[in-house]
Amino acid sequence: MRKSLLGNAAFVALGLVLAFMPLSGYEEGIVALLCINCIAAMGVSLLTGFTGIFSLGHAAYMALGAYTAAIMTVRYGVHWLPAIVAGGIIAVLVAWLIGMPTLRLTGDYYAIASIGLGEAIRLILENWQSFTRGARGFPGIDSYTNRAVSVGFFTVLGIGMFNLIYSRLGRELKASRDDRVAASLMGFHTPASRMKALLISAFYCGIAGALLGGYMNFIQPSMFDMMKSTELTAVVVFGGLGSMSGTLLGSAAITSVMEYFRDISQYRMLIYGLLLVVIMVLRPEGLLGDRELWAFVPSLRGGVKRSEAREGGEGR
Amino acid sequence: MINSRVLLELDGVDMFFGGVQAVRDMSFTIMDSELAGIIGPNGAGKTTVFNVISGVYSPTAGSIWFREQDITPLMAYQVNRLGIARTFQNLRLFGRSSALENVMTATQNRYRYSFRENLRGHLSPSYRPDPDYSYSFVESLLHVRNWAGTEKRIREKSMELLDRVGLADRANQAAGTLPYGMQRRLEIARALALDPKLLLLDEPAAGMNPEEVSALNGLITGIHRDFKLTTLVIEHHMDLIMEICPHIVCMNFGAKIAEGTPEEIQNNAEVLSAYLGDEPDAHEEAVGR
Amino acid sequence: MVNGVQFSTLFQQIINGLSLGSVYALIAVGYSLVYSILSFSNFAHGGFLVVGGYICYGLLMGKGFNIWIASLGALVGAGFVAALTERLAYKPIRERTSMTLYLLIASMGVSIVIENLFVIVVGGRFRALPQNTFPSALFSLGGNVTVSAFDIFSLVIAVTFLGGLQLFLSRTRWGLAIRAAACDLRTAGLMGVNVSLLIAIVFFVAGLLAAVGGIFLSVRYTLYPQLGGITTKAFVAAVIGGLGSLPGAVVGSLILGLAEMLTAGFISSQMRDLVVFSMLVIMLLVKPAGFFGKQIGDKI
Repeated sequence: MRKSLLGNAAFVALGLVLAFMPLSGYEEGIVALLCINCIAAMGVSLLTGFTGIFSLGHAAYMALGAYTAAIMTVRYGVHWLPAIVAGGIIAVLVAWLIGMPTLRLTGDYYAIASIGLGEAIRLILENWQSFTRGARGFPGIDSYTNRAVSVGFFTVLGIGMFNLIYSRLGRELKASRDDRVAASLMGFHTPASRMKALLISAFYCGIAGALLGGYMNFIQPSMFDMMKSTELTAVVVFGGLGSMSGTLLGSAAITSVMEYFRDISQYRMLIYGLLLVVIMVLRPEGLLGDRELWAFVPSLRGGVKRSEAREGGEGR
Repeated sequence: MINSRVLLELDGVDMFFGGVQAVRDMSFTIMDSELAGIIGPNGAGKTTVFNVISGVYSPTAGSIWFREQDITPLMAYQVNRLGIARTFQNLRLFGRSSALENVMTATQNRYRYSFRENLRGHLSPSYRPDPDYSYSFVESLLHVRNWAGTEKRIREKSMELLDRVGLADRANQAAGTLPYGMQRRLEIARALALDPKLLLLDEPAAGMNPEEVSALNGLITGIHRDFKLTTLVIEHHMDLIMEICPHIVCMNFGAKIAEGTPEEIQNNAEVLSAYLGDEPDAHEEAVGR
Repeated sequence: MVNGVQFSTLFQQIINGLSLGSVYALIAVGYSLVYSILSFSNFAHGGFLVVGGYICYGLLMGKGFNIWIASLGALVGAGFVAALTERLAYKPIRERTSMTLYLLIASMGVSIVIENLFVIVVGGRFRALPQNTFPSALFSLGGNVTVSAFDIFSLVIAVTFLGGLQLFLSRTRWGLAIRAAACDLRTAGLMGVNVSLLIAIVFFVAGLLAAVGGIFLSVRYTLYPQLGGITTKAFVAAVIGGLGSLPGAVVGSLILGLAEMLTAGFISSQMRDLVVFSMLVIMLLVKPAGFFGKQIGDKI
């Protein structure tokens, strides 16, 4: 309990620092973008790192969030806050539809289905000219995502995510990740567990997409292609599967590196691909493995083995 | 006092895998509060019987009754929520999680259950999470209200069970790194944490040395006594079962060949032949006696 | 007369569809073959196809070889690249961990590397193989029914290669070993099969078949570094047929090819991709394990 409060307080402090630290306009933009990327990465991390489901279509949920928020604010004059939340909800609904048939299967079915879903959503957005303005994109979105909004969403969703993994849901998801049969025979309906993870991750990606729309003022279907989905998953793997703080570190690292190499985009992608292979070969467990950052701090660890840090509530 | 209520009943259960019949016309009854055993040589189909009872497979024919309700069509998780917990012959712990976390994962999943009449007049199982060990999604998300108290209760209950199987000092060790015998006991603690009505132990002594086996004997009889828990044990080593189980079912080639008290089993010609080996000579010798 | 026109369109689109489907089948079969042995989705498979396409183009245009030698070079080259990828990127991971997720991500990395390597080295331009490379005449089958010789040609070649694969798998010692490994790789290893070599052979065969597909696709759609993206459809076909099943991959591919071409012929060309992905979703709803996939037998 004490550690939970401590963790939540630390997160709020991080949020306050990010929101009020004096920065140049350019740096403020980077912080906002970083927070958006972190929100999406946390969603994917819950699904891939904690539940063991591999997705190659989560950019589609970002697209759904982005277009929902954009259309609601621009066409119907809805306030940006409910529009962003609606973006998350639409993503959840679609995730539920796609999850129903695919999450009952194991293996790479969800991965392939998620490619299909991702492509299908992109194609619909491209072809539904009258509603989405098609492939040329959707301009004129209000810049409602300033640094404060972005950091605010990040803080709230971050606290929620860490609280979730340090509660019964966290243990449930890890159980169905580690041994589906054992989990079933402990009374977990594993398809339902996987569904919970998918819906939550879709919500996070939907929100991130909606924020991205307000940040860029312009969205187009090609921003949410399979490359973007790959990037989301790669960030999570880079940070360490099963480590939420690792995901945040990984996201921060990759966002910075991508920003740094923005000018040489061809080589950037080549380096990025090579990096993925090299990480998988040399350090597949990622930056932090399946440990959280505070597991490396002896005073928080309480002098016991590493697994202590991942136990409900106490590890924080 | 012996309660003479029937807890579990198998009625003519057949299980085919492709063309292979793993279980043939299996019928037996387990009374409430019984400590029963299933013995049989390797490959006799014992684990398949457990898999059918616990809902991993649907039997090809026959039915399974638990607390006077037909549980044959239920999924594994439903069967479990109705109060049947089990361990595994090939250990299935969450290896990277700590011993304590393994047990907590089970403790948080206690269900209170009953059978309720549905719209079509059939009885269907109904269960809801035990409110003492459960809390809502919002409480998880915000760590408010019952979160702290319930997490504490789950942790304490789990520690208590770890202590019961003698693993309290290993609570924070990753389950996969525990010695083999301890992993077996951890599985028992994890099954107990579900607060079952029926405990199925699949070869609990496999891979243990004689001292560990005798400690296990004490553990199983102790749990049976203290928790008043109906327990069904599978073993292919006769000794353990003969020692602790008053009621024994003996299987060979998927079928029941004998049932009764340890004395009855020991004096049964078919059981002897099943155990004395596959060679025709030994077989005839055993039957001839 | 209207009926006549419709009939001829129907017939033409069926031939087109079978032709396209058989090319998908070449790709899907290789992907399924790898999946059946290592149970991971090799997303670099599309890269092998592009490698094959560019080698063929390079030998044909740059070195002036004839199409047969260029194709042969492409097949061997792509097979070699596939086996090399396995050796350099996947083998170290396989030896370290049993988590197929890491292989999956490495394969995505490889796919990105191959694509961008071509962008940097040869540029992102669309390149067309010369018109007369393959038979391309249209010939009439009486009435309004015309068929392109290229469609018939690619159908025949694809069927030949698929038949060859079938013979390889059913008649040769290595084929038998591969089928055994598809059941259980570890056991096959314990039985004395050289697993390393076997996996290299599987990747070589997969890369070779992808190159055949790559050459036909680069004639059909021109050649560019992102052409490998088309493998997504082969993945979809493999899922529709049942992941890891070779007959499933072929059947799924043919269905997909037909659906695509019939949509293009009767509804609109823009809708064809949408139809493909809708079919995936419908299939997953109706028969989630695909036509030939293992149905889930347990109740977990």
